[in-house]
Amino acid sequence: MTGLPALIAGLLVGLPVLAVVLAGLLGGGGEAWTHIRSVLLARYTGNTLAVIGLTSALVLAMAVPAAWLVTMFRFPGRALFEWLLILPLSVPGYVLAYAWSDLAGVAGPIQSTLRSVTGWSARDYWFPEIASLPGLALVLACALYPYVFLTARAAFVTQSVCTLDAARSLGASRARAFWTIALPAARPAIMAGLALALMEAAADYGAAELLGVQTLTAGIVRAWKSFGEPAVAARLAIMLVLVVSGLIMAERWARGRAGSQQSSTRWRKVSRIDLTGLKGLGASAFCLGLFVIAFALPVGRLVWRSLQVQPNIAPIGGAVLNSIMLAGAGACFGFLLALLIALSVGTASPASRFARFVATAGYAMPGAVLALGALALASFLNLPLTGLVALGLLAWVYASRFTAAGAEPMIAALGRAPVSLGQAATSLGASPLRRAREIDLPLALSGAATGALILFVEALKELPATLMLRPMNWDTLAVRTYAYASDERFAAAAQPALLITLAGLAPVILLSWRLARSRPGDAP
Amino acid sequence: MNDALTAIGVSRRYGPSMVVEDVSLSLPAGTITALLGESGAGKSTLLRLFAGLEPVDTGEIRLGARRLSAPGETVAPEKRRIGLIFQDFALFPHLDVRRNIAFGLKPLAKAEIDARISHWLKRLGLEARAGAYPHELSGGEQQRVAIARALAPQPAAILMDEPFSGLDPSLRGSVRAQALGAVREAGIPALMVTHDPAEALEVADRIAILKDGRLLQSGAPDEIYLQPASPSVAAALGPVNRFRARDLPAGLLPETTAPDAEVLVRPEGVVLDGQASVRGRVTSRTLTGPLVQCVIACDRLHLTALVPRAEAPAAGTQTGIRFSPDLTFIFASGAT
Repeated sequence: MTGLPALIAGLLVGLPVLAVVLAGLLGGGGEAWTHIRSVLLARYTGNTLAVIGLTSALVLAMAVPAAWLVTMFRFPGRALFEWLLILPLSVPGYVLAYAWSDLAGVAGPIQSTLRSVTGWSARDYWFPEIASLPGLALVLACALYPYVFLTARAAFVTQSVCTLDAARSLGASRARAFWTIALPAARPAIMAGLALALMEAAADYGAAELLGVQTLTAGIVRAWKSFGEPAVAARLAIMLVLVVSGLIMAERWARGRAGSQQSSTRWRKVSRIDLTGLKGLGASAFCLGLFVIAFALPVGRLVWRSLQVQPNIAPIGGAVLNSIMLAGAGACFGFLLALLIALSVGTASPASRFARFVATAGYAMPGAVLALGALALASFLNLPLTGLVALGLLAWVYASRFTAAGAEPMIAALGRAPVSLGQAATSLGASPLRRAREIDLPLALSGAATGALILFVEALKELPATLMLRPMNWDTLAVRTYAYASDERFAAAAQPALLITLAGLAPVILLSWRLARSRPGDAP
Repeated sequence: MNDALTAIGVSRRYGPSMVVEDVSLSLPAGTITALLGESGAGKSTLLRLFAGLEPVDTGEIRLGARRLSAPGETVAPEKRRIGLIFQDFALFPHLDVRRNIAFGLKPLAKAEIDARISHWLKRLGLEARAGAYPHELSGGEQQRVAIARALAPQPAAILMDEPFSGLDPSLRGSVRAQALGAVREAGIPALMVTHDPAEALEVADRIAILKDGRLLQSGAPDEIYLQPASPSVAAALGPVNRFRARDLPAGLLPETTAPDAEVLVRPEGVVLDGQASVRGRVTSRTLTGPLVQCVIACDRLHLTALVPRAEAPAAGTQTGIRFSPDLTFIFASGAT
């Protein structure tokens, strides 16, 4: 296969970002930009960085101890927590933000219970405000910590347990062995997971808007929607692109020169250490608390709320249909691009490297930024933003954002197959095309089911780009949830939110099932 | 003089299976003891019991007079001062050579740490690699770093789990000589787990043979090789021809041998001697390196002999056979 298909795929994925940068650099600023620059830019950027900083601290404090506990110890409920703790991955940040504002608000069940137990009135006590920057960081950490939990757990499971034994024979206590050996060895994996989580945090629009925190992403949507200034929005988007690029660079830098891949060829099985008595209960309590805060309580509240109201069939049914159509179109488009990129990886051509890089960069870009790029292209080409054009652009933005999520499982599936398969096909006289069709394609498709599912669900959950590009009155589940929740119609928001969460559970369960099957070094 | 490391009646059970059963073994200071056995014999578990990485179910582990392990009582590995060397070296991937060696020296003053590191880098020829990370080292270099790291804290004993099996055969001899030289110098008890009888015979001062969790025999290499206590021990130290006495032609064994005795003969103990009265025919002749392996048909039996190339007859020729008495082991019927 020549590089041409990969080159086209890469260009299609990268075009929206390019358009945004050009629109921001070339477009006129005007008064709105002067205002935003002098008054709001510092606040937006400062808030975004503060959210990122606080979220990473919380994510690390939640995910790393949990991963260490379920990998190295035996305590009540351990096997259950190993996969329960992944479930929050299925809940989009804006759903969690809405569920928690419902739970923790003045009229919510937590404060009501507090008042009825103590007899206080609402003015008699202080209660942490969820609609605040720390509140947003907590909500995002709850939604995003599973990224780090997964990568840290994988790193702890595959570490050579011999290095821990060696550390102890050299006089290190169990705690010192964790801090000086296990944690640094897992650092690149933890940083990779954290980088993913923080990109999502930077890209979040719905949670920040619902909780009233003025981040860059919220500012982009506002500059475009309220000020009607796409060029100003694009300049804010460049700022956000810089922040995200900074995250990617920080992750690369953190890898450093020190090796993290294990030199060993032999795994001793992890023989988990029994935690009994208070220690065991403490470990269980930590994992249970995390699961309850990040999943059980908010999702339980959604279920409770949705049972309270009559199902609102007509608007929800329409939104389900719209969501499926739109996410389906985006997933198909993204799947095609992902397949082209995955099949080109074996050629190691510059075009293939370019396409893969662009796809990864697109995954890091917030949906609001890509939507702006698509808008800039549409206005450059004088396309009307209605009907099929708008939907087409939206599907394209989904594809641009999520192609990497679809391509990576296929690349992994191809990578697991020995190089000699292709060489055998060639030695048997197969042309490059026949080899791609009969050998590479079927191999890539074994990883395709996961890729397609991830693409579909990610597209289903996407909020800011959908808000910006959808045709008038064309609502998806994400848009409905957000609209109801921002009107504080919590009961009405519950049903679409629950449907998104249910759809999100499918790939998460598939993922944890796969993890359970391919687990090296586990105790029998 | 350093203390011996001793196991007294030690057992360890995983669920229903007994992995180490009533093993008593003393590792004298200044000697290298090879622990030999097939995979699954319990070698690594016994090593982990010595190291304190697992508790004992019965028995005791002592260093000199100090009790390290007893049921319900295990001195933590970090409190034992027992060095460990692994087959996969277990170097810390995120630390360079210098900091790998420094890891176990933490309580010491900085000057002392630097001095020890310099000493060990020099002793094992690693000076040029001090700043390298493990993944930048060759297998032999990684092995030497592992030795330096384990010996730098001046441990009271050292335990090695198949330390050389990960190395290229062409490298193994020289790395092994260098590494074990350093271990001997330390004058401490040393245990080396191996499944290679040739390695055990070549480098160990003492050999202990483990099978199905039980210690079959321990002693000096010569003693074990020439006076195996059981057919299993004889078989553990290298290939053997194994027969019932009654199946062998008369004249190969002493006349007093009971007819149902177990007879084990090492291939190098099958001597091809033109003058011998027992005759056989060479059915195959294979060069195996310095020696030639001949298979000889004799009555209905097939015997394997290892002989110098110059003395090996061609395939198809007739030859006389006798057994060398010191390499022929006769056990009562039913011995295992």
